[in-house]
Amino acid sequence: MTAAVTASPTIARADLVSTRSPGRRRGRAGLPGYVFVAPGFLAYGLVVLWPALQALVMSFQQYKLRKGLASPFIGWANYARAIQDPVVLRSFANSAFYVLVTVPPQLIIGLVLAILLDKAMPARTFFRVLFYLPVITSWVVVSLLFKWLFATDDGVFNWILTSIGLVSHNVDWLGQRWTAMLAVSLLGIWKGVGWSMLILLASLAGVSEDLHEAAAIDGAGTWRRFLYVTLPHIRGTVVTITILLVMGGLNVFPSILLMTGGGPADATQVPLTYIYKQAFTFLDFGYGAALSYLLAFFVVVISLLQYGAAKLVERRSE
Amino acid sequence: MIVQRRRTRSLGLASRYLILALGAVVLVTPFAFMVSVSLKGRTMLLEVPPRLFFKNPTLDNYVTAWTSNQFGQYFVNSLGVAVATTVLTLLLSSMMAYGFARFRFRGRGAMFTVLILGMSIPGMLLIVPQFLLAKDLQLLNSLPGLLPFYVGGSLAFNTFLLRAFFERIPRELDEAMEIDGAGPWRRYWNLALPLARPALATTAIFTFLGSWDEFAWALTVINDVEKRTLPIGIALFTAEHGTQWGLVFAASVIAVTPVILVYILFQRQIISGLTNGAIKS
Amino acid sequence: MKTWLKALAPAVGLVLSLSACGAAGTAMGTSASQAPSAAISGSVTFWHAYSADSPELSTLEKVLIPKFESLHPGVTVKSVPVPYDSLHQKLVTAAAGEQLPDLVRSDIIWVPELANLDVIEPLDTTLPDFADLKAKVFPGPLATNKWKDHYYGLPLDTNTRVLMYNADALKKLGVTQPPATFDELKALSAKTAGTGVFAYAEGGTGGWSVLPWIWSGGGSVTDDAVTTATGHINGADTVAVVQMLADMLKQKGISDIILGGQGGTKTSDGLPKGQFATILDGPWMFPIMKSQYPNFDLKTAPIPAGKAGSISVVGGEDIVLTKDSKNKAAAAEFLRFLLSEDSQMEMAKTGQMPVLSSITADKLNAIQPYYGTFVEQLKTAQPRTPSPAWPKIDEVISKQVLTAIKGEATPQAAMDAAATQINALIAQYK
Repeated sequence: MTAAVTASPTIARADLVSTRSPGRRRGRAGLPGYVFVAPGFLAYGLVVLWPALQALVMSFQQYKLRKGLASPFIGWANYARAIQDPVVLRSFANSAFYVLVTVPPQLIIGLVLAILLDKAMPARTFFRVLFYLPVITSWVVVSLLFKWLFATDDGVFNWILTSIGLVSHNVDWLGQRWTAMLAVSLLGIWKGVGWSMLILLASLAGVSEDLHEAAAIDGAGTWRRFLYVTLPHIRGTVVTITILLVMGGLNVFPSILLMTGGGPADATQVPLTYIYKQAFTFLDFGYGAALSYLLAFFVVVISLLQYGAAKLVERRSE
Repeated sequence: MIVQRRRTRSLGLASRYLILALGAVVLVTPFAFMVSVSLKGRTMLLEVPPRLFFKNPTLDNYVTAWTSNQFGQYFVNSLGVAVATTVLTLLLSSMMAYGFARFRFRGRGAMFTVLILGMSIPGMLLIVPQFLLAKDLQLLNSLPGLLPFYVGGSLAFNTFLLRAFFERIPRELDEAMEIDGAGPWRRYWNLALPLARPALATTAIFTFLGSWDEFAWALTVINDVEKRTLPIGIALFTAEHGTQWGLVFAASVIAVTPVILVYILFQRQIISGLTNGAIKS
Repeated sequence: MKTWLKALAPAVGLVLSLSACGAAGTAMGTSASQAPSAAISGSVTFWHAYSADSPELSTLEKVLIPKFESLHPGVTVKSVPVPYDSLHQKLVTAAAGEQLPDLVRSDIIWVPELANLDVIEPLDTTLPDFADLKAKVFPGPLATNKWKDHYYGLPLDTNTRVLMYNADALKKLGVTQPPATFDELKALSAKTAGTGVFAYAEGGTGGWSVLPWIWSGGGSVTDDAVTTATGHINGADTVAVVQMLADMLKQKGISDIILGGQGGTKTSDGLPKGQFATILDGPWMFPIMKSQYPNFDLKTAPIPAGKAGSISVVGGEDIVLTKDSKNKAAAAEFLRFLLSEDSQMEMAKTGQMPVLSSITADKLNAIQPYYGTFVEQLKTAQPRTPSPAWPKIDEVISKQVLTAIKGEATPQAAMDAAATQINALIAQYK
């Protein structure tokens, strides 16, 4: 207790000295950065990176669950099996479809809502809450609900489609691969819009009003102000959100599990549902780990590509 | 001309409300159905298509959900864990984000890359190694034992998000404070954090929700019935055959309320002009 | 100081666990001499998946456990309900970390898997009175506990699928009685055109769904010793059953929900609404129908007989004693208590069918009139292949039967492929 009390002024003084000393740049380069980063990074290293490393080892083993049973190393066999497994390829294709269908609408609708709800207006909080409701409603509940909506014979969706004459007989939405993926994607958009909206609201909150006013006085219309004032400011956030949405889309899980179970006959498996099945139904943890790392590899590559593309666009526009 | 502008403005406002109202209907309907089913009394099979309005709504499910199964205790447990997780995560991730955004040090790039790489690995397969780790650290079957894993699990995402916001704070402000003699901690605490209030509020909302909703890990490590969290309490109402959906939905509605309150509380921080004002002063 | 404690902790743990083993050993010895109650103490943790607010859970926690605790002062039983969908995952992870509780109420299909992981005790060598317990229970449910040469658990409750029918829907198809044979079902299926009624509906093609038909038709998955699937899953009788399902689907005599899509009308809705004339299901349907379709008169009959008779599939749960248990003597005593006639009768009132042969159909019918059909059906019901490979075998059956009834392969070709795949799976666990 006493030690703690006396320690803090010492740190503060050392801090002052180091920033004021001639070797300021060195001070800046060294200790403070580590002090800020270390606590979080150590925690992260312990509970995420260390287990992740063990999972990596697992992916090269025929993993035996029971302690005391040796898990033999089998080299790249789990990875080789993954490449030959047709369901793996299908699951990646399904999640790619999901990303392509869900990410752009989430971004665009999220942005529209954020812009509409950024400025002060009556009932702003009310609307902000309403649009965020899907994000906080449990996956179990919304998945069940979308299962109803897309039911073949009694579903609301088919009822609408047949009554306006778009289709002549009921569509078996959840019984076929792409229609089922589309149904799950619609749920993804619906549930994700509020999430993008919230981050974009936070980003818009930083747009300078002075700049907006100056642009307005110069006669710039709403659209031009958005293009030249707002957009440059939130571009970084948009890139961040896109990367996170793509990452999230490739990791889609509960909606598939609850709406189609990956079926019929693995037609709608996505990487995570298939990994879950391998690990927790078949107890094939080595294979599940290999699939996890394959997925991680794709996520990293795709994120890097997006990051690179964003940098390129930024440089062009400058 | 002024009149014309005013007219277009009110027209703009009207169309804004129209779009918002339309969006609200689409987004809220499923939530309304959840509430509707929860008021229906005992239902094992869900009515197809579901009806939004019906005769004789009842609060029975709410009473049963709350009184059976120590639900109140689970609520308190979840609240404690979620609040602690949010506070710790916000502190650690904002420190990390500030460190990455404002300082140069050896291994900075590598550490940030590792952070992002870790985010790409699906957490599902980590559950067994994490379980063994929790066992070694004697964190099994304990509510505070959930914290390291909840905080650790949400650090990367929040750091990633916050760093982007910190980097947009003009460096001149830092330098001005530095000339006034402010050390790194004061610059972080008195300058960066207040300016990043909208971003911090966003991460607080996400972190609270993430911890509040977490199911798989809590289910795996908590054994004592009285230490369980709310999502487990809700899942306990599901059965192999004949789940009482009215109960599940009532429990879900109860579970959503604190999240809405937290959201309302924090979204006040996400307001245009806040940042500008702070920078001016 | 702290380091010193840490260094000591493993040693203390070791001493404690050794003494626990010792105590368990002696207690086990006394249980053989018919006076176990005096020696046991401590707590027993019991994981199960009885859902919250269910009569099963309240009977367990408010009737059975207090009774056991008053019979054995000094023993406390901790009942831990785990959500049904998550129990397997929790078991698997706990097994990896050697954190299993004393007793688990396990789905019957997990027992061989847990045995193969070496995390549960072979009861035939652990319990001195196993022979007595074994003699008390029905052989069908008991068989689900066998893996290699040992019994790793005892049945706790049982159930099976029987034919359930909607009399009005049958009338629409021009009959007054439910189909009693395969031929009658085929005839019924041929009459469905234009009626808006399906003769039969099934929600998938996995073992739980199609095995009653395959077994009744004389087919099988493997030989009795589980050494080969060749000549069984692709034998003439199995193939004939798959052909029958394919034909009925083609003439729209059975609903296409058998293809596994999640959007179709569920059997539990289609039957009372008259869209499906017959389905196969378990005793839990009675409380569900009573609550959801109070005006519907749910009726049951034996599964239509094929050339091998009327053979259904055994469902239910077993109780297993784990190797991680620190209090095996008390746990074993609670296991015996749950298998007593009194406890089984108490649980029967909540819809859990007893496993004791001493509880006759008369006694059960006094509790629930609908139990009769199930008791009758259970006499011939068979367990699914008792193997740790079952989840994967199930997957193979589900996919290949689906391929065949969709017409993407002939039934013979599909089942030949299934035989090859199943042979590879069972070879892994020889």
